[in-house]
Amino acid sequence: MDEEQTGGYSDICGQCGEVNWGVSDEGRFYCRSCHNVIERTKEVVDTNTFMVGTSRVSSISKGTRRKKLEQGREWMVCEGFQFILKHQAEALLAMGVCPQFKDDVLCQFWRMYLQKSRQAYTKNPVHDGKFRLRSQGSGESDSAPESSVMSDSMMSASETDGDGDWASGGGSVSGHTSDGASSVCSGSIDAVSYLTPRQRRSQGLMSMPKTLALCHLALLWAREAITLADLLRFVNEGHIPYVNAYEDFPEEMKLYGRDSLIFRVESIPSYSHLHKEAQALAVFLELPLFPPITLDCLLHPSLLTLRYLTEANLPDELHDWVCRIMEKAGMESSVTFEPMRSRSPLPHYDVQAAALIIIAMKLLFKLDDHTEWDLSNDASDKNKENPDGNSFNLRWWYRTMQTALTTAARRQQDNIARKHWKPQKPLYTSKKDKSVVLKRRRIAEQLQLSFQKLSSSPVAPPSTPPSSFCFRWGEEGEEVWDGPSLHHLTLDSSVRQRGASLQPANPEYWHPALRACKPRFCKSHYAEVEVTLPRMYVWLLDLFSFLLGVKPGCVYEEVLKVERRFLGSSKSQPRARATPRKTQPKKLHKRKQTSKTCSR
Amino acid sequence: MFSKGGLQLHINTPRETGFHKTTRNCLQHIREVLLHHRWQDAAEYMASYSQTLEDTTANMPQLYAEIIWRIGTEILHHHPNSTLEDYNSFYERVKHSGVKHYLKVCLEHSFHLLVNGQFEDAKLQLSIAESWRYGKQSAGQSQRIRLIQAYSGFLDYFIWCDKKATASNEYDAAVNQEMHSYFRQSSVNLKEIMKLPGVWDPFVLSYIDMLEFYNGHEGAVKVLNDYAYDDSFPPNPNAHVYLYRYMKKQNHPLKKLLKVLKILHTLVPSHELMPEYCSLLNEGDLQKALGVVLDLLDYSSWRSNLDVWNHLMNIIKRLRMKKQWLKIFAEEMGYRKDWWLAIHFSTFQARKDSAENRELLEVKSFVVGAFCPHCK
Repeated sequence: MDEEQTGGYSDICGQCGEVNWGVSDEGRFYCRSCHNVIERTKEVVDTNTFMVGTSRVSSISKGTRRKKLEQGREWMVCEGFQFILKHQAEALLAMGVCPQFKDDVLCQFWRMYLQKSRQAYTKNPVHDGKFRLRSQGSGESDSAPESSVMSDSMMSASETDGDGDWASGGGSVSGHTSDGASSVCSGSIDAVSYLTPRQRRSQGLMSMPKTLALCHLALLWAREAITLADLLRFVNEGHIPYVNAYEDFPEEMKLYGRDSLIFRVESIPSYSHLHKEAQALAVFLELPLFPPITLDCLLHPSLLTLRYLTEANLPDELHDWVCRIMEKAGMESSVTFEPMRSRSPLPHYDVQAAALIIIAMKLLFKLDDHTEWDLSNDASDKNKENPDGNSFNLRWWYRTMQTALTTAARRQQDNIARKHWKPQKPLYTSKKDKSVVLKRRRIAEQLQLSFQKLSSSPVAPPSTPPSSFCFRWGEEGEEVWDGPSLHHLTLDSSVRQRGASLQPANPEYWHPALRACKPRFCKSHYAEVEVTLPRMYVWLLDLFSFLLGVKPGCVYEEVLKVERRFLGSSKSQPRARATPRKTQPKKLHKRKQTSKTCSR
Repeated sequence: MFSKGGLQLHINTPRETGFHKTTRNCLQHIREVLLHHRWQDAAEYMASYSQTLEDTTANMPQLYAEIIWRIGTEILHHHPNSTLEDYNSFYERVKHSGVKHYLKVCLEHSFHLLVNGQFEDAKLQLSIAESWRYGKQSAGQSQRIRLIQAYSGFLDYFIWCDKKATASNEYDAAVNQEMHSYFRQSSVNLKEIMKLPGVWDPFVLSYIDMLEFYNGHEGAVKVLNDYAYDDSFPPNPNAHVYLYRYMKKQNHPLKKLLKVLKILHTLVPSHELMPEYCSLLNEGDLQKALGVVLDLLDYSSWRSNLDVWNHLMNIIKRLRMKKQWLKIFAEEMGYRKDWWLAIHFSTFQARKDSAENRELLEVKSFVVGAFCPHCK
C-alpha cells in the first residue's frame, strides 16, 4: 500500500476485505486487490489532516520513480499535430474517401509543410541552437504518420536526469527554461517557443484550424466530393476529430501547461475563416496547379449543383438551366485552383453551386415577390385542368421546404445547445490548477449523471451516421421523411418553347448593382442591402446558407460574382452604394448564339 | 435570479467562442422549458449545461454553479419522480461546486431535511457545515455561520422533543442521558445566539420550553426579559407577548403583568391581548381601561366585536357613577370627537348590525345613549 499517497488510510475494502489502497491519477482511492473505487479522494485527505490540526502531516513526497513514469516522453508540438492529422485522415477514410488521400496526398502536404516551416527536413531548423540536438533527431526520423517520432536516445537522455526535479525540464534542453518563466510549463518541449510573438507573427505555425485547412486542400487535390461546407458540418457533428482531438494522443505524450493554448479549442472555425486559412496555406506551401476539376469530378459545378438541387427538393429539369448559365458565365475556366496565380483565388465550390441555382431560379421565376406567385397560380391551374399533370408549383415547393427548414433549424439549435465541449481528461495550465480542474471535472460529471437520471431519456440518443444530405425527400410512408419529393415535376408552366430552345416564361431579370468593390476597402454590403431585397429572394439566400452552414451574406456575394460574369462586363455598371437601387430590369433571352435582347 | 453578471450570459458578444454559444443557447432552452413546466426536458438540458462548471474564464464557474444550484432545486421540487436520495446527492455535489456558496447550500440542504422530518440528518449536515473552514471565505461569512449555529441549536431542540416523547413513557436512563445531552448542546448554541440582536422568536420559544421542563424558571424569566427589554434588539411585540404569557403561567404578581401589557399596548394597540389587559385594568384604573378600549375600537378588526363593546358598556356604567366622569370622557375622547360617532353609528352599520348581531346593536345603542343623551 502506498502509505505516502493514501496518508495512512486503513479502512477495510468493502468488496474484498483487504487493506491495500492506492491513489489513481485523478486522486481517487482504489483498492489494489479488487480495483474497487471508493468515494474518498486524495485532496479530502489533505484538507482533513490540515483542518483537524493534528500532528499527522500528510506527506507530499516527490515519489521519484512514480513521477518518472508519469512524465512520459518528450515530444514536440508538430508531433502532436501529426497525430491529429492522422486521426482526421482516418476518420475521412472511414467516410469513404479514397485511401490514397491519406498517404499520398495529406502526408505529402504535411511533409512539405514541415519543410517549408523549417520544423523538419531542413538543415536550418526554426528552433535555435538550444534545440539543435533535438531537431536533428526529429528531422532524421521517419515521418510516416503511423510511427512515433522520438528515438531511443531521447528517452535515455531524460532518464539520466537524476531525481524528478521538475525545474530542470529534461535532458539536453535545460537551456530553454533559462528565460526565467516558470519551470516546465508544458508537456511538449517547444510549446513555449511555439507561442512566442515572433513565431506568431511569422504565421507559419500550425494551429488547430489550420489542420482542417490542410485537410481541405488535400481533399481538393484528391478531387474528393467533400466540400469545405461538408467538412465543417462533419466536424460540427463530431465525425471528424477536432474538438478535444488531443485526447487520442498516446499515453506517453502528456499535455499540460502551455500546450493547452495550442491544442484546446472552444470554437469551430467559420467557413470564411477556414477558407482564408486554406488559401494562405496553399500559397505558403507554394503548391502548383491543382489537378483539374473535370466534368466527372463531383466537385465540378455541374455535378455539385445536381446534388444541391436534390437536397433542396427542386425539380431535376432545373439542372439544364443551371448548366446553360454555367456555360454563359464561363465557369469552366475558373474551376481549378492555382494558388500561385494571384488572380485565381481558391474557389468556393459549394457556395458557387448554390449561387448558380439561385440565379437559375431568379431567371425562371424572377423572385420579386410577385411574378413567382403568379406563375405558381398558373401552374396550379394547369394541374387542376390536367389531373395527371405534374407542373412544378413554387408555392407548394415553398411550403414543403419551409416546414422542413423550420424543423431542421430547430433541431440544429437544439444540437448546439447540447453539444459537449469539455473533454474527459481536462487540460490544465499550471500545476496548481490541476486539482481545481480535476475537481470541477468530477463534479460536472456527477451533476450530469444526476440530471440524466431525472430526464426522460437517461441514455444519450445514438448519433446519426454522417450523411451528405440534410433533408430526405421521398414517398409518403417512409420512416424518416422531410416531405414529398418534387424532383420529378416538370417546369412546363414556367417555360415557353421559342423556336429551337426553351425560354423562361418570365421575361425579366433583376439584379443589384454589380460593380465590385475594392477588396480591401469594403466588406460585404449585405446587411444594408438586405432590407431592399424581395423577401422571397432573401428566404432563398437563407435556405442555402442554412444548407451550407455559411452566412447569407456570403451566398449573396457569390451570387453577385457569378452574375457579373453571367451578365457581361461590369465596368458599365454603377458601383455598389450604401443603398443600392435596383437597376433597369434587363430583358434577357436564353439563346447562346446571339446577344441581342428581345422584348416581349 | 440572474444577477448583473448573469446578464452577460444572455448577450451574444461578437467574439463568442463556440463553447459559450452552446452554453448561452442551452440556458435559453432551459428557460423556455422551465416556463412551460417541462421538467424532464429541463433535466436533460441541465445535463448538458453542467459542463459550464469547467469554463476556464475567470469568475464564471462561480456564477454557473449558482445557476445550476437554483435551477436544479427548482427541477427537483417539481419533478414527479424526485426522491430524497436525489436531493441528497444533488446537494452534496452542488456544495462542492463553488466555495462561496458552500454554507448557503448546507443551510438549504438541512432545511430541506428538516422540512421532511429527517432531524438527525439535518443536524449532521449542520455540524459538518459548522466545522468548515476555508481561509478568507469562511471568515467573511460569519453571519451565515451564526445562522447555522442557531439552527443547529434549534434542531437539537427538535431531537430533544422526540426523545422526550419516547422517554416519558418509561424511565430509561440511556434515553434520558441522551435527552439531557441534547438539551445541553442546544442551550449552548441558543444562548450564544440570543446575545446577538435580532428576531429569534422560534428559538426563544424552544429555549423557554426546555428550561421550563427542567424547572429553570428564573433563568427563563431572565431570558425573556433580556429578549423583550434589550434596547439593541429590534422592537418586537412578540417578545412581550411571550414574557406576559410565561409570567401569567407562573402566576407572577399583577403589577408586573400590567407593566408588560402596558408596553405591549404602546407597541401594538390593536393586539389581541388588549381585551385581557382591559379586564385586568378594570379592577384598578378605569380611565386607562377606557383609553385601551377606545384605542381598540379605532381599528376595523375590533369594530364589530361584541366583547369590546361590552367592556365599553361596563366601563361606562361604572364610570358614570364617579364624579368626574364627564371630564374623563372628554379627555379620552379628545381628538376623536369629530369622527367617532360617525364611524360607529352610521345607518349602514345599524342596518348591518340589526341583520347580523342584535346584541351588539343593543349595546351600541346603550353607549350612544350614554354619550349623547340629547341626540337621537
